[in-house]
Order: sequence, then C-alpha cells, then structure tokens
Amino acid sequence: MDIGAPETEREIEIAPLEEPVPVPAPAETPAEEPVPS
Amino acid sequence: MSETHTEPIIGWRLWHVRRHEDEYRLESFTWHHVSWPARRRFEARCSTHGGAAPVQGHECGIYAFRTRELAEDLLRRYTGVRQHYGRGHHELPPLRQGCPIALGRVSLWGRVVAREHGFRAQYAYPYELFLIGGDDGLARELRGRYAVDVSSS
Repeated sequence: MDIGAPETEREIEIAPLEEPVPVPAPAETPAEEPVPS
Repeated sequence: MSETHTEPIIGWRLWHVRRHEDEYRLESFTWHHVSWPARRRFEARCSTHGGAAPVQGHECGIYAFRTRELAEDLLRRYTGVRQHYGRGHHELPPLRQGCPIALGRVSLWGRVVAREHGFRAQYAYPYELFLIGGDDGLARELRGRYAVDVSSS
C-alpha cells in the first residue's frame, strides 16, 4: 500500500427524479355519510 | 468531468440516537449535536466551502461507507473491540456508554464524491435503520419520526 498517496476521488452528480425523502401520508378525510333526503 | 445518474446511491453509516428535549433524533456520529432532520433532506455544510460541500480534495460532506461491514468496523473501533465480535461476525459489540446507536443504509444524492471505501455527499436521508442498544419503543418512535423502517436488535 502506498502510504501517503491521496485516495482517488471521482465526482458523481445524482439528480433523482424524486427526492428519497418520505412525505407525510395525506390525512384521511372521512367519507361523507349519506344523508336521507 | 462528472458522471450523472438519476438513482440515489445507497451507502451505510452510523448515527448516535440522542434525546433532544422530549424526542429522540438521529445525530451525526462524528459531529456532536448535529441532528438529522425528519422528513426533509440533510444538507452538507462546510465552514470553508459553505453549501458547495462536498469539494474534491477536502474532507467536507455527508459520509457513508460502501458496505455494512465497513460501518460495523467503525462501530467496533468506537466500542474498542478490535476483533470480530460474535458468531459469524453477525453480532455487534455491546455499547460502552449506554447511548443507542443506529446502523443503517442511507440515500445519497446531489453532488457525491466517491472513494474506494465510501462516499461524501451533498444531500442524504436515512433509508433503513438497525437500532443497537435501543428497545422496540425507541424503534417505533424513530420509525414514526423519520418514516423509514427501523428494527431493534
């Protein structure tokens, strides 16, 4: 091993179509109760 | 010239799990009191390069290893256990200070500097966590806060 040699680095650009961050689930809206006419 | 991809890189890393006021949060393993936000990306900052981190030839950015084994090696060094611990190296060493640690996979994206053993990234978010030194209740709390899978060992 070549001690002291700088470690080789490679730059990558990653542009995901969607950010891998979970979004809160939408709040459930209660179904409307049928109202007798 | 840099390569361009659309799929995040998945790396492995460690976090401390520390209580902040009334809730537990993931905290950087090497920078004390730097907690990872829940449900939004963690962004690299550098005292020299600001939001341009990571910069090639510098040490800034959000770190992750390429493999679980490398992250476990860091944990063994942290706990002072130099040999492989447990049968088939699957067991991890007991923690010295009683502070829970999360070992897990992390999504990395934005500008990423790849090295032989790992990465330094601009943006990151936990992908899956394995809790060491924490119980099911803490795993449930972290699962709810960060909205990722959390297993307790």
